[in-house]
Amino acid sequence: MADVSIEQLADDMFELVSSAAGQKKLKAGDLTKAMKEKYGDLSRADTKAAIKQLIDSGRCVYGYFGGSSIELPRVEGSANE
Amino acid sequence: MADDLKTPLLDELEKGPWPSFITDIKSMAGKNDYCKDLLGQLEKSYEDKRGYWKHGGLVGVMGYGGGVIGRYSALPDEFPGVSHFHTVRVNQPSGWFYTTDALREIMDIWEEHGSGLTNMHGSTGDMVLLGTRTEELEPIFRALTAKGWDLGGSGSDLRTPSCCVGPARCEMACYDTLAMTYDLTKSYQDELHRPMFNYKYKIKMSGCPNDCTAAIARSDMGIIGIWRDDIKVDQAAFAEYVDSGMDIQGAVVDLCPTGCITVEGKEINIDDSDCVKCMHCLNRLPKALSPGDDKGFAVCLGAKAPIVEGALFGSVIIPFMKIEDGDFEPMHDLIERIWEFWDEHGTSRERIGEFIERISLATFLEGIGEDPSPKMVKAPRDNPYIFYEEYYEEEGASASEE
Amino acid sequence: MATEAKRVTDIGPPQYEQFLHPIIKDNYGKWLYHDSIKPGVLSHTGPAGTIFTVRCASPRLVSVNFLRDIMDLADKYSDGYFRFTSRNNIEFLLAKEENIDPLIVDLNAMGTLVGGTNNAISNVVHTQGWVHCHSAATDASGLVKAVMDELAEYFTSEKLPAKLRVAVACCLNMCGAVHASDIAILGLHRTPPRIDNNALPNQCEIPTTVASCPNNAIRPTSIEGKTTVKVDEDKCMYCGNCFTVCPAMPLADPLNDGVSIWVGGKISNARTEPMFTKLAIPYLPNNPPRWPEVTDAVKKIVELYAANARPFERVGEWINRIGWEKFFDMSGIEFTKYHLDDFRHAGTTYRRSLHNRY
Repeated sequence: MADVSIEQLADDMFELVSSAAGQKKLKAGDLTKAMKEKYGDLSRADTKAAIKQLIDSGRCVYGYFGGSSIELPRVEGSANE
Repeated sequence: MADDLKTPLLDELEKGPWPSFITDIKSMAGKNDYCKDLLGQLEKSYEDKRGYWKHGGLVGVMGYGGGVIGRYSALPDEFPGVSHFHTVRVNQPSGWFYTTDALREIMDIWEEHGSGLTNMHGSTGDMVLLGTRTEELEPIFRALTAKGWDLGGSGSDLRTPSCCVGPARCEMACYDTLAMTYDLTKSYQDELHRPMFNYKYKIKMSGCPNDCTAAIARSDMGIIGIWRDDIKVDQAAFAEYVDSGMDIQGAVVDLCPTGCITVEGKEINIDDSDCVKCMHCLNRLPKALSPGDDKGFAVCLGAKAPIVEGALFGSVIIPFMKIEDGDFEPMHDLIERIWEFWDEHGTSRERIGEFIERISLATFLEGIGEDPSPKMVKAPRDNPYIFYEEYYEEEGASASEE
Repeated sequence: MATEAKRVTDIGPPQYEQFLHPIIKDNYGKWLYHDSIKPGVLSHTGPAGTIFTVRCASPRLVSVNFLRDIMDLADKYSDGYFRFTSRNNIEFLLAKEENIDPLIVDLNAMGTLVGGTNNAISNVVHTQGWVHCHSAATDASGLVKAVMDELAEYFTSEKLPAKLRVAVACCLNMCGAVHASDIAILGLHRTPPRIDNNALPNQCEIPTTVASCPNNAIRPTSIEGKTTVKVDEDKCMYCGNCFTVCPAMPLADPLNDGVSIWVGGKISNARTEPMFTKLAIPYLPNNPPRWPEVTDAVKKIVELYAANARPFERVGEWINRIGWEKFFDMSGIEFTKYHLDDFRHAGTTYRRSLHNRY
């Protein structure tokens, strides 16, 4: 199992979401796969915990467009706006 | 109801014997602007033959990615009471059993913080609180959790599991659907509240092949009760059905799909080796017939409505398993093997049924570590396009794998 | 609240046992048999005694007022215990048989009906429609009300050959399980999405939108330097999947949206395997508030089935026995090219035998 902290994973995930913002809405699965690519084998519990930390810290929020995504916080409103 | 609101079209739906949702909403229209403006907007929809709701939205309670559906009126100036009209999904108790004390508490919370309209229940099983504003979401969540309630699922997550009445009030139940629903819901809170899948994943539990929760049609994972040994027969009770004048031949024997029932005088005989557990005879003769002792369930994967690749029924993946001594660990193990493989190899917005069709049942079974069985197919393949993985080398007799 | 309580999450639902009537708790998993007392009334018996169930209709979309009236009756007659069914009926769980009739009188007085058991039409499962959904092609609650006003006698009696399950979904997303119902009423759009090229580049991801189409009808395109999409209208079957991922592609079309009728699905394994519903009527107009064309069509199918099916035959079993050609003949419903499947696995629905009735 790769030796990387939950905090580091959350930070890396935040970087990914930030750099994709406006171009691609990333899903939890995209973040997990990217982390596995970077760090090798990671447990499901670790990637789940990192996403939970990312959201609970307020740096990202969940969005929904047919499927669920993880996005930077934005102004509240309908998807039409 | 508010005096200035005229709804001549909706008023037509107050006539007739079936209970009227319009009469009910009108009873709330004097209490809050949600209901008054909902009626106004709905009347306009009935005039114009179209809906006036905007598409989705980004709202929820802190930390959760599921449980709240954002909804905004497309006509907020005309109908400000429904400018926000979000849905809150509340996780229902197993089997939809309530006491009045418990449900009154939720109704009080909901009347204080929302429209006071509900769906009892939503299609997936949640109690649905229909229509509130963004700023009310966090207070509602706090009030609900303080009374022991939590939100359900939405988006690409585990949706709220639901079950039939099961052993709580049905003699046909082959396993404890309420206990399993409770266990899975509690065990997978993270998957329920934080969308992490390719797409939604619904679990429904029915206690027998009558399938009162429509698990075979409506759930990505249908867990349907079944038994393996002989139907239990009470011949004395059967004789009473005969004595009652019931048309046993027409109503039972002739309708058995495998013709495995014979009746001699007042005695019924079933060739259980041919019985497919369809339930018809048990349904007709509940006092005389009941499921056997070797009870458990089958697991069917992949049911869904048409979007995207067409509607599917569930396919048998596990023909039989059982829970011993209330230990749900084997079920958790199965679920986690399935999720892990689907997470890794499924694509965005691909339900598990579409995933299995795309990669083939054989590949899927290998991926989750289950062996194929004739109980999983209607028939073996009828085409010869077989992907062989083993063959003999010309020079030697040893099998080789490519 | 005086002090703000600590925020808790992930507690799940309350444990269900606290909501079970004592007789149910004592008989849990030990039930012996059930009896049908009259339409809408069942009894279940186990070693610890008998519980009586009175089932009533609910519009599913109900207010706290309605529910409080229901709960007052539950306090009066069923010790405060009640439940909901998978088809949104309400069930009172009574310890005392003598409470059955007074409860029914009170339920009728509050404007609901008792029934939905055995060979009846049970409550209609349905979706949100114009009351709450952005993609609805019709209303759901209004359709259910209009249809069930016509069919109420089949809810309050058990005079049908078998149980009959009706479902309504207001678009192809089918939040209600209409694809396996005896009779399904399905709202549908019939024209391609209209693309808002100004909004689309900001609101939608092009690759996701392109990928959403099951028929590959969506392609990226450029208009005035902005990337948007175009739809090959010959390939579009109005499923709305693109709209789900891209709000700038709405399908609502008051002139063309309408309702289709499907028949012959079932879920239970009793006698025959579960079956999908099949298309009976491809299009009927949206005609609120009472959808007369739809109620008329559904009522005719129910009456035809009631008059012709054998005991315990579900709609799909009846049609399979008599043959689809005879169903269209007897019902007078026109068979059109729209009845021929042209999506995935379409060939599995073609008749590949000479088992025809002439």
